[in-house]
Amino acid sequence: MRWRRLRTLLVREVRATLRDPFTMASLIAVPVMALLAFSYVLATDVEHLALGVYDASASPASRRLVAELGASDAFDPRPFATRGALEEALVAGDVGVGLVIPPDFERDLLDRAPGAPPPELQLLLDGAETVVAGNAETFLRAIVARTGGDLVSGQAWGPSGHAAPTGLRTVTRVLFNPRLEGTPFMVAGTFGFVLSFLTTLITAVSIVSERLTGTFDQLQLTPATSAEILLGKLLPLGAVFAFDVIVMMAVAGLLFGVWPKGNVLFFLGVSSYYVVTSLSLGLIFSATSTTAAEAVQKTVLFSVPLVQLSGFAFPLRSMPAVVQWFAEALPATHYIRICRSIYMRGEGPLSMGGDLLLILVFGVALVWLAARTLERRA
Amino acid sequence: MSEPIIVVRGLTRKFGEFVAVEDLTLAVPPGTIFAFLGANGSGKSTTIRMLIGLLRPSAGEIRVDGIDVIAHPRRVRDRIGYMGQRVSLYQGLSLRENVEFYAGLYGLEGAALERRWGAVRERFALADAEGERPENLPAGLRQRAGLALSTLHAPRLLFLDEPTAGVDVQSRELFWELIQEEADSGVTVFVTTHFLEEADYCDWVSFIDAGRLVADATPEELRARHSDGYRIRVSGGISEEGRTRLARAGLEARRDGEGWALRTARLDSAALAALGDALGPEAAGRVRVEQPAMNEIFRRVIADTAAARNGPAA
Repeated sequence: MRWRRLRTLLVREVRATLRDPFTMASLIAVPVMALLAFSYVLATDVEHLALGVYDASASPASRRLVAELGASDAFDPRPFATRGALEEALVAGDVGVGLVIPPDFERDLLDRAPGAPPPELQLLLDGAETVVAGNAETFLRAIVARTGGDLVSGQAWGPSGHAAPTGLRTVTRVLFNPRLEGTPFMVAGTFGFVLSFLTTLITAVSIVSERLTGTFDQLQLTPATSAEILLGKLLPLGAVFAFDVIVMMAVAGLLFGVWPKGNVLFFLGVSSYYVVTSLSLGLIFSATSTTAAEAVQKTVLFSVPLVQLSGFAFPLRSMPAVVQWFAEALPATHYIRICRSIYMRGEGPLSMGGDLLLILVFGVALVWLAARTLERRA
Repeated sequence: MSEPIIVVRGLTRKFGEFVAVEDLTLAVPPGTIFAFLGANGSGKSTTIRMLIGLLRPSAGEIRVDGIDVIAHPRRVRDRIGYMGQRVSLYQGLSLRENVEFYAGLYGLEGAALERRWGAVRERFALADAEGERPENLPAGLRQRAGLALSTLHAPRLLFLDEPTAGVDVQSRELFWELIQEEADSGVTVFVTTHFLEEADYCDWVSFIDAGRLVADATPEELRARHSDGYRIRVSGGISEEGRTRLARAGLEARRDGEGWALRTARLDSAALAALGDALGPEAAGRVRVEQPAMNEIFRRVIADTAAARNGPAA
């Protein structure tokens, strides 16, 4: 090995890297984003999770318990007037976890006979949000047990004056995925990941490759309109990926026993529409890149937040509010939410109107933008 | 003279601070082969991409077949054929499948396609290549197939951007024969090349240098203006009367060893007639004509332009 030759090679490589702004930005932005995401945004701690509370007791003891939960920083309690309202909020995603305090809570806690069971609190969890549910349950049980112990040992609340032998019991009721199995959660999310990442990657190289071989210029000089060229690209790939969805559904069903609880045709329809949305994004990357490598770099850069922030692997509810707002700007976030709603809760279009509307808007906007990008490149 | 089919006025294209094409003005008569020559990076491809509507100019006007290309780039597309430096055939598809693809985009199908493709296939000698994929074809044949595809929809104008780049000499000659056949059938051909000697296949030549038009004339006119003219060597003697006739036609004869050397700016019919008269019936066997090379003319044009720009040397 000769130092001079090595130095020459090193100098060229450093110059080339420093003069490529896209590579430089990637080299700096990706590690910083990964560090922030994994250490802060994607931490599994429960912080300020919306906790729906139906307090049927409305007693000093139950209020103390709710106050303790609120003071923990783990939960932000929100009162609900009825148990039904609480369950609706949980299904709608307005709260991440629910707590039902029974009417006789205080009496059963502080004034019960020796040997009688302690009062029972009910935790309501959304099994479709497996990770959030698991983490929240652990945190909630710990706080409830500690607060219950404090209440009993303090005696201040007991009208009869004798000590209660134990604290509180919690029973958990999990909606939609009673055993909190991770497989349905991941299966439903994988549709979002595959249909976002792979579609974008495949199309990202298509136009830039055609431009490099000269066929795209030729194509643009034919009477074919930009819309026709766009659809000519999107529809065949869309059909392939729609078929992929069917294959994935069959494999998940046959191998893991995970079938969609909702309407299969509705799921297929939404997925096919989402495929077109993702393909359009890939076409935009492709049409705005000068080389295939640049198009792939853009796709990979895009897929970092896709994996981390869309709720595919890490629960959105555990993330800071600012990050959650950003996640809402990703079409994948809404598609993954729709997937889980159909797959795990068996929901129909009416209960996921907001996400459907946003997917629709994202789709129209991205297809329009892709057509405009192709036209502008013409 | 008929109206120009391509009219360009004040065409300019900037990329940031870099001026790729500056204040270009051209007029191309219909049915001619118009050569747009220049070195690599001189602005040829940028110009052709603006003419066909693939690139928007920074300033100027372009009319192709009466259509304002800047305002309506799409309207001109079914009237033009284009072949770029890279032959635009889809790899993985056979030549026949490529033909069906492009023909379909022009609405050419069924019997009409078979008739048209049959004629084009025969003229471009592509029958044996029809089932082959482009990546398996030799470069010359691939270029020919590319040209055939660009003429499939019978365009009124053909824009060819460096069509002979990377092709061997024999294939280039065949390629130019095909281009001339297109022009003979009434198609206007606008061709860029950096092979300056190819200018002699063309009716009109424009030289571009650093984005500026530096010459614009027929090949003969360029030779007359920017060279020492044709050099004619005559073996054996020329009578005094013959020398007088030659001088009257503008051919001045000087002794050159055993023979004579003549120079003329234009080798036109008058000069050829004077040679015939002066040398008699055996003239053809005694004469060797050296044509000024287009490379030399280009160098002279560039030098003359630079001199004119900088003023007379001290």
